[in-house]
Amino acid sequence: MSSKPSAEIQLTIDGTNISVPAGTTIFDAARLNGIAIPTLCHQQNENPVGVCRVCVVDVGQRVYAASCIRQAEPGMNVKTCSEPVQAARHTLIELLMSDHPSPCARQQHSGDCELERLAAAAGVREARFPKRSTRRGKDDSSAVIAVDHESCILCDRCIRGCDDIRHNWVLARRGKGYQAGIAFDTNLPMAESSCVSCGECMVSCPTGALTNKRVVGTELGQGDVLDPTELLHLPIFQNVSGTFLELNQKAVVKRHYRAGEIICREGEFGSTAFYILEGKAEVFLASPMAHVETAGTSQGFFRKLKSMLSPREQHRRSEESDRPFIPIDASVDLPYDRPIAELNPGDLFGEMTCMSYYPRSATVRAKTDCVMLEMLRNVLDILQRNKTFRAQLERNYRARALDSHLRGVPIFSSLTKDFIDHLRDRVELVRFSPGQVICRQGDVADSFYLVRIGFVKVSEERPGGELILAYLARGGYFGEIALLSGSPRTATCTALDHVEVVRIARTDFELMLERFPDVRGKLESIAHERVAENRRRTTQLQTLPVDQFLANGLMEAQSLLVLDLERCTRCDQCVHACADAHDGVSRLVREGLRFDKYLVATSCRQCRDPLCMVGCPVGSIRRRNSLEVIIEDWCIGCGLCANNCPYGNINLHPFPVELDDPAHPGRKIASTRVKATSCDLCHDHAEPSCVYACPHDAAHRVNPPEFFAGLLKQSSVAKG
Amino acid sequence: MLRRIRTTKKLAKRIDLQYFKRAHPLRRWRFWLSLAVPVVALGWLVAQRTQGGQKAYSSGPLSASHAVFTQQCSLCHVTRAAAFFEEVSDAACLACHDAPVHHVNQVFTPPCSSCHLEHKGSIHLSDTSTASCTQCHESLRVRDGKPHFAESIASFDREHPDFSPAAKKLTDPGQLRLNHYLHLQSNLMGPNGKRVQMNCEDCHQLTGEPEQFAYAGDLVTTGSLDQATSLHTRPRPSPMVSVKFAADCAGCHTLQFDTRFGPEQVPHDKPEVVHAFLVKRFQEYIVRNPAAVHEPEPPARQVPTRIRPVRMAGNASEWVQFRVDDAEWLLWSKTCKQCHALRSTGGSLPEIVSSGIRTRWLEHATFDHRAHRMMACTACHAQALDSHDTADVLLPGIQTCRECHQDVARSREVAEGRCFECHEYHDWSKARPSKHRFSIPELRGTAKLQMP
Amino acid sequence: MAILAVAVASYIPYSLRSPQGPRGGSVPGLIYGSVGFSFMLFAGLLGFRKKFPIWRIGRAQTWMRGHLWLGFLAFPLILLHGGFHFGGLLTRVLMWLFILVFTSGLLGAALQHFMPRLHTAQLPMETIYEQIDRVRGQLVEEAQQIVEECCAALEGDVSSATERQRAAAASAGASWDVTVASGMQVDEQASTELRGVLSTEIRPYLEKTGGHGVRIKDAPVAAALFRQLRVLLPSTLHSNIDDLENICEEKRQLDKQSRLHKILHGWLLVHVPVSYALLLLGAWHAVVALRF
Repeated sequence: MSSKPSAEIQLTIDGTNISVPAGTTIFDAARLNGIAIPTLCHQQNENPVGVCRVCVVDVGQRVYAASCIRQAEPGMNVKTCSEPVQAARHTLIELLMSDHPSPCARQQHSGDCELERLAAAAGVREARFPKRSTRRGKDDSSAVIAVDHESCILCDRCIRGCDDIRHNWVLARRGKGYQAGIAFDTNLPMAESSCVSCGECMVSCPTGALTNKRVVGTELGQGDVLDPTELLHLPIFQNVSGTFLELNQKAVVKRHYRAGEIICREGEFGSTAFYILEGKAEVFLASPMAHVETAGTSQGFFRKLKSMLSPREQHRRSEESDRPFIPIDASVDLPYDRPIAELNPGDLFGEMTCMSYYPRSATVRAKTDCVMLEMLRNVLDILQRNKTFRAQLERNYRARALDSHLRGVPIFSSLTKDFIDHLRDRVELVRFSPGQVICRQGDVADSFYLVRIGFVKVSEERPGGELILAYLARGGYFGEIALLSGSPRTATCTALDHVEVVRIARTDFELMLERFPDVRGKLESIAHERVAENRRRTTQLQTLPVDQFLANGLMEAQSLLVLDLERCTRCDQCVHACADAHDGVSRLVREGLRFDKYLVATSCRQCRDPLCMVGCPVGSIRRRNSLEVIIEDWCIGCGLCANNCPYGNINLHPFPVELDDPAHPGRKIASTRVKATSCDLCHDHAEPSCVYACPHDAAHRVNPPEFFAGLLKQSSVAKG
Repeated sequence: MLRRIRTTKKLAKRIDLQYFKRAHPLRRWRFWLSLAVPVVALGWLVAQRTQGGQKAYSSGPLSASHAVFTQQCSLCHVTRAAAFFEEVSDAACLACHDAPVHHVNQVFTPPCSSCHLEHKGSIHLSDTSTASCTQCHESLRVRDGKPHFAESIASFDREHPDFSPAAKKLTDPGQLRLNHYLHLQSNLMGPNGKRVQMNCEDCHQLTGEPEQFAYAGDLVTTGSLDQATSLHTRPRPSPMVSVKFAADCAGCHTLQFDTRFGPEQVPHDKPEVVHAFLVKRFQEYIVRNPAAVHEPEPPARQVPTRIRPVRMAGNASEWVQFRVDDAEWLLWSKTCKQCHALRSTGGSLPEIVSSGIRTRWLEHATFDHRAHRMMACTACHAQALDSHDTADVLLPGIQTCRECHQDVARSREVAEGRCFECHEYHDWSKARPSKHRFSIPELRGTAKLQMP
Repeated sequence: MAILAVAVASYIPYSLRSPQGPRGGSVPGLIYGSVGFSFMLFAGLLGFRKKFPIWRIGRAQTWMRGHLWLGFLAFPLILLHGGFHFGGLLTRVLMWLFILVFTSGLLGAALQHFMPRLHTAQLPMETIYEQIDRVRGQLVEEAQQIVEECCAALEGDVSSATERQRAAAASAGASWDVTVASGMQVDEQASTELRGVLSTEIRPYLEKTGGHGVRIKDAPVAAALFRQLRVLLPSTLHSNIDDLENICEEKRQLDKQSRLHKILHGWLLVHVPVSYALLLLGAWHAVVALRF
């Protein structure tokens, strides 16, 4: 590495005289002259460090020299494969193999673990030395690279690759003695670190310590597989490791779509994201904007019990939605009144589907002939960490979606355009991995957050445990309470999956409040509401022996449908009534677990922390201003909420609908759409229909703490 | 250690959401039965109609006398043209029966069916309830003026006034002297010189009794038949056989007139007849015994308290005249007078006041002695044992009747106390002749009924 | 109750006064008859009300109470109407039908009072009656899965057993902790016996509705069988046996539920159809009686 003037040096290696320029290492000198010295930690493109000592040679001195780092000196007599040297090498390899989990992952996958190859070549079969007892573990967090610290031989190649070659400065060493190992940032799991998954370390690693993870379904069936060089020409793939692309060649493909072709349908499950290279596409909701009607009117004596969809034009709900936009998994949001938007080249859609395997949130159809890149998660992950790509994404977001997001928050609806322009470049887009804490309770408040993508859990630490206050989806916001009141953070916000938030710094926030006092007023009232709600919850919990309540989630519920089994004659009138009130679709099932003499029927419990809401790709299952969980008209029937509900209270139902036939414009074809249904407490009647229709006064909709208070008190007294 | 864990979600997922819409045996059965059973009922109705006409709708079996017309509902339930109701009007009853009005002054005439209840089984239709009568008589009002009778009679054993003889303290207007007490003594001189103890039935008999009167002579026959056969079964007026001299008195009260003739008696007849008889007899005698003209009259023939001068006759006709006078004097002053009241008319012969024995004391009711024949006469007519005066009315008061006859509604262990037992509503004296209009086929239903 | 008191109170003077005794056709008799019939009509309308449970025409409970009370009162009223006589053929039939409906209704009310308690106490694992067959089918599959898993473990096939356990997680009402009895000794004979027990004893019981004629219908017999099985199989598989036993117990409870439910609802099969016939004939009687 030195840049001395190249004077020639003469030395002898294995009896051969060679002359090399000054500053050449013995290893290079040997290599130049056709003599191969086995190495492990030395990689040609990296600066040698000489930690493994496999390349030791006898230079005629007291100790053997590591040939990879020792510079050739004039008149050296180097012996590379004498018996003592070989014996030393043998022992070294044995020592290394003694801690090596043979066969390691690399050896298993591709048979090219360098250490094991060395061992085989050196005739090392069994190590005489015992394995070390401390375990350094594995790190499975990255989507792309598997880290097995057991196989790591501390050769330093990955560190040099990450720092010197890639300049990412993520990897470093940690620990001492047997605990020594490599670490990402401050010994964070790889996925949480600033690692950009370029793959250089993996490529550098000689053993199975850093291997390429096999993503399920790595190969995309359709589409043209691209040459890595082609991909690298695309601006978004700049600075992506070519090796990585090579290894994951089939994980990204080029797709061509004709105008009018459907690229993806809402509600389908998928695992890929799309990036538009050329052409325009339309994104819209194909499900009818309708809800399963909750009407109490009669429709004639002989009507059949059939489910019906009631579109918005025919029947508006009494409470209109307060959201002007429907949040979807693309770079724009769909306006509520006319849910259709356009995607341009450079737009990415399907992010949430790809990263977190949520169902597709909308239908995308090519407006013109399109060329797209379809990619799997590993590729998207790399892209997301790629600086160029991120820059473009953020540009897009700021230009198109930030506006609607900000305005989508009702309290910000009065912001002027110039202020948004001012904010545009000052906001920061920050990514969080699943489980990562965005802000912690008690921290100093310095920013206001807007959720761009993913789900955020807002919770509070209490003496009894964690109390979940809310789930926020795309378009949600948090962090304003502490900013307004100047107090520390009142709650902890954690990312549930791959979350990206828009962070607005304190100064900008305060500027906004200054310039738009009505925004401040609205924010303050909402903050007050939230504080009051929290306080109410706290006091409620304090008056109950919470620890003695049943563990099957009854405490989570805010409204239970209980059937008094000592009065119920199992006549099914409640089910009939529910079905009648909801056009043939019953929202309750008379089956479930019992509590005392009550059967807790399977019907929405209006949980305090509604797990059903997590993951709704279009945010249609939510609460408005009252207790009941509503499924909005734009539900796309993906079924995630039904899966998430731990009690099975949500069911999916197919409805026959007539849609415009894309093949024959002007005509309609019959199709099936699935919608999710759940108990809505019959909110447009005075009393829930099931309770109303029970002839034996056995059905009750109750608030569990109040209803069971007597029982709980008894049991608490009994337990002392 | 169980590994099966029941969670709400798993339990709920077992259930098919559309289960309640599907048919299930219980529900299916209920549905089909709910259709089938009413259909069966309907079928039964139709079957009833075709089989038995309208018999099923009858609200009970008919009375014995109408039972033969059970199938002929329209005999009574007359169908009027263009009317829905087939009620039983009075006209239907009057097609066969006559029903003279009770009293011309009555305020309203109750319909036939309000008193005569059909469809109650094998009863006598004419056995109406007390309420049929008390509907008027409980607070009696008449069309003009005040009623003649008690204004409030609600039942026999409570409000029914006492019988008029007792109530009005009537006396027997009879002009025939009789002392019941005397006649019931134990040492009466009977016929043929024997001493007898008389019983009530020695003089008073029931109608139609077949036995011969024990003390009657050959001339005596038992009583007459009762009145002409009544069309009605009840109440049956059945007075006692009138007491006749020949049957009941002659056995002891002989009408001898002269010892010359021994036990021969004058006929129990008018004085003229007796006189003629006497003249005839004496004339025959004197013809047979001309010497008797001169025989003195034995003094034993004198009535101790009435001494008459004895007249000797000159010739036969005079003798006959004198003897007839004597005999008549005996008869008129003693024998006949013993019972009868005689009145002088200014002629030679007295006139016997009509005895005026009143046989019927209850004008508005009838009493059937035959129905009470098991009773001793004195059980009701106890006064007879103590009756010295002819004027005594020996009818029992209503109390005696009430011993047995009471309101049937109160107890079953009484004799019939309803009104019809003694009283009659319809004034049969005003009955009209029946209209004999139906033929057998009509009545038996094989021919169409022609209702008037 | 007030109505009944009034009705009875007015009956006594009425029966004493009328010239021919209490009759169906007299004015009070007609009043009794029509009021009684209107009560019966309302009672009959309960079925109608149940068809439209969400119509806001009064709570189902109110209607039910009304049905019970008015139906109860209708009986004495009709008795008063007929003057305690049965009358002719049609009225006799009507009266008997009415008695049938009334007594079945009383029986039903009594059943509905104490049967639910019984039901609840005896059947902790009850389900929806109409779905018993479906659940039973799922139990069969579950039992099959358990036995297959046991047999696989017994035969040494560890990995497939694990998969099956996972696959069995979707069956009726059960979720599994995946523990595989690895490291067990292979016992082919036990496996065969277990399969034999499944096919000869357990499956026939589970598959047969009511389970009549099957040996393990009796709980003690079943307990003995499972005890034998526990002796036969190693202790690591005992939790599986417990599950099998639990499945059989659930089947037992489902059978019982079926029986109890039939009792609880069977009386309706008499009450409802006969009441319809009653209403029909009653209406006909009213027409006919007024006509005559």
